Amino acid sequence: MVKRGKLEIMKDILNIIKENKNLIKPTPLLRKSNLSSQRFQKYFSELIKKGFIKEVEDKNGKLIGLTDKGFKFLERYRTIISFIDEFEL
Amino acid sequence: MRPGLPIGNLLAGGIGVELVYSFIIIICSLMIYFATKEMDKLSSYKGIKYFRLSFLFFAFAYFFRYFIQIFLFSFNLKGILEFSPMFFGAISLFVFLYFSTMAIFFLLYSVMWKKWNHSKLTIILFNVSALIMAFALIFSRGIFVYLLINLILLLVVLFILFIAYKDSKKKSKTGSPFIIYLLLSIFWILNITDILIPRFLSIYQLLVYLISILLFMIILYKVLKKTGS
Repeated sequence: MVKRGKLEIMKDILNIIKENKNLIKPTPLLRKSNLSSQRFQKYFSELIKKGFIKEVEDKNGKLIGLTDKGFKFLERYRTIISFIDEFEL
Repeated sequence: MRPGLPIGNLLAGGIGVELVYSFIIIICSLMIYFATKEMDKLSSYKGIKYFRLSFLFFAFAYFFRYFIQIFLFSFNLKGILEFSPMFFGAISLFVFLYFSTMAIFFLLYSVMWKKWNHSKLTIILFNVSALIMAFALIFSRGIFVYLLINLILLLVVLFILFIAYKDSKKKSKTGSPFIIYLLLSIFWILNITDILIPRFLSIYQLLVYLISILLFMIILYKVLKKTGS
């Protein structure tokens, strides 16, 4: 199995959130991301730091949703990958 | 423009052509830099970051190649140049060589960063090498040293071309994804021939500039097409 790159993992995590009507609890997100909890934590912190995801509190506890920047990343993901491939970066 | 300003003499002397040439290279480079800004911000991908930096440094290099001297002339600060023309010539050549060398090094790093660890050390090494080359040229003031430095840089560009070609073959891609590096190699070869051509062969020099502009425009077109700008 081919190891997923950093950008692909980020895209996968964001897609999971998006497909869950843009709100998901951390535990199902960890499960669906197919990452170890340590790696998941690393990516989760990075996505928060980059402003791609946000944490929201409601009566059921903490939920995670995409920000506008997160949607933008998903929208531009294919272009970014195609650019990296094109110029062998 | 007021008649009798030295800029008129400059234009008549062929510097106008070099000015237009530099201006187009600067515009193309800056357009590549800004067209890839969003992708860089969203991805924070090192390859994209150094690819962009490479073109930003190309823009700086060509800015210092002619614009500083033109600026001094156009604002009628001729006295400064007359005071020490050798000094200003040397400074602008030093800065041009430093930035163009760094541009090539950044391009190299944009395709090699995955294979090379210690990015900070690599960048320091690049800066030191570029400064050594620029100082070597200033102190020697010989065309042979300038030619040698450009040949070294050409080898670097050809190495980038080779890496890109090898990787594209490995991924068995169709088309020529490494074409941008091929164009840059040709651009650099033209740069070297420009050093060797005597000044009186202005038609040939003009041809070199036109081909160089065309190459940069193709590179710009390819980048804009890929970024969707």
